[in-house]
Amino acid sequence: MAKLLISITNAKNDTDRATVGCVVANASVASGVETVVFLSTEGVRLSQEGYADDIHEEGFAPLKKLLTDFVDAGGNIWVCSPCFKKRGLDEHKLVPGATIVGGAKAVEFLSTGGSCMTY
Amino acid sequence: MGEIAGHLESDVFYDFGEMSCGDLLIALLKAMRPLPVGTLVEVRALDPGAPIDIPAWCRMVGHALLVRAGGPQNTHYLIRKGG
Repeated sequence: MAKLLISITNAKNDTDRATVGCVVANASVASGVETVVFLSTEGVRLSQEGYADDIHEEGFAPLKKLLTDFVDAGGNIWVCSPCFKKRGLDEHKLVPGATIVGGAKAVEFLSTGGSCMTY
Repeated sequence: MGEIAGHLESDVFYDFGEMSCGDLLIALLKAMRPLPVGTLVEVRALDPGAPIDIPAWCRMVGHALLVRAGGPQNTHYLIRKGG
């Protein structure tokens, strides 16, 4: 099976990029591709329950719905551990489907046939 | 149920309106997942990217795109669900 990692490095600092990254991730997972949303730098804030509730870019579905649809369709959300810790976020408030990982997990995914798009 | 320009009659019809990109594909996935293999699905999709995306999606997930209709923008599609 093809593998695609969607790297999202933005949150409320750039809701356009964060939203489009999620939309493309949904296109990927809905197409039968093993898909990971990798949240790093500011993007890790999207992993927190409630944070994305008010992100709704014009012309797109609300970001919370996009992430929920993504996980329901079989997608995985990986959250960069050092980025998460740096921001003092709460590992007990992760959205469903999110897992805190180190860089090795992303490197393994990409070096075994995965491709990457970055937002 | 519906009928596209005199082609095969579909079993179900879904109108996705202006939905696009990942929203459209997630909606297609949700709609078609519970249907039995072989179901004939008529889809209406108006987004300008749909004429490229829907055939590509069908190829990736193993559905057969039988008919594209509705003018140059291919606003209607008849899809047979694959296995």
